[in-house]
Amino acid sequence: MIKPVESYLKKMKKILVSGLIAGCILFILSYGGLFLAIRFYPALFTEYNNPLFNSNGDRDVLFYMHAFIISLALSWFWDRFKGLFKGPLILRGLEFGFVYSIIALLPVMWISFSSLDITVLMVVSWFIYGLGQAIIAGLVFAKINP
Amino acid sequence: MQYRNILPVCLLFVSLTSFVIPLKFYGLSGTKKWVVNQNSSLCVNGSTNINKFSCEILSYDKTDTLTLNESKSDREVALTGRINLSIKSFDCHNSMMTSDLRKTLKEKQFPMLHITFLSLNKLPDLASRPESITGLVNIEIAGVSKRFEVNYQITRDEQKVIHLLGSRDINFSDFNLIPPRKLGGMIKTNDRLSVDFKLNIKTID
Repeated sequence: MIKPVESYLKKMKKILVSGLIAGCILFILSYGGLFLAIRFYPALFTEYNNPLFNSNGDRDVLFYMHAFIISLALSWFWDRFKGLFKGPLILRGLEFGFVYSIIALLPVMWISFSSLDITVLMVVSWFIYGLGQAIIAGLVFAKINP
Repeated sequence: MQYRNILPVCLLFVSLTSFVIPLKFYGLSGTKKWVVNQNSSLCVNGSTNINKFSCEILSYDKTDTLTLNESKSDREVALTGRINLSIKSFDCHNSMMTSDLRKTLKEKQFPMLHITFLSLNKLPDLASRPESITGLVNIEIAGVSKRFEVNYQITRDEQKVIHLLGSRDINFSDFNLIPPRKLGGMIKTNDRLSVDFKLNIKTID
């Protein structure tokens, strides 16, 4: 009776820890990358001066929490389906990233572009950004929770 | 003996004329009506950390009247009247930026921007050569009114149309407005805005 509970808690701890580690790495890489991209390619971001995007700063905390939200969700997804991703670490990470992007990102980007006043460039950049995040998270999970 | 008679006369003349106030000071020089033409315009220039923007109201769709009262003094001339501008008329040459500016200026709550003229520092010469003067105005944006000193360049052309160019730097924060910030503050609009307006005016005596 105790053993399954212990095993479940151990598993949850593993998911949580690997999710938090991936979250910290994604936080640095995602927002660091975004900061550099805005600095060196400002023209790509002029379209964000749009009322569609929150402008009064009251949701900044939620914006910066995104790296941890996606990492924890992907950590659970990895733990549940990691048996399906076979091969060396890099291949597992890449496949995980592509699977997430096709299943979750592509339909969301599709509906976003069809319903919101946003450009193709924006949607493509979001897709690439999400794909990059999922590949990095996949590599981290393949390393610490194989 | 003759000089003795002249002296009291002179003293009387001086004492009487010393109380005479110039007609202009007495308010007898009159008021003038300045009719602001429809082809007047207003431009707001600002910047973000990634680009610059310029939002304009290119055609003022009303005819407003300003009253120039020359009676106060030579040092200050009362200029009264108000021009009312629709926030909806702003065009930033980019539909998204236009919508963003309207949202920032709380267009739904406060659809009009008001400029109330108060005074000029001197009576303009109204010549073809540009003359620099200053004046006080109240600018009301998003329900908050603030007094500013504005620099003007004033000229009058051959068709007797007065061109009044006004310029002034203002801040979003002067009107309790928060400059837009996107993506968690990574894209920030600078607080400072430069406002330029051009009024084409016809005089009615």
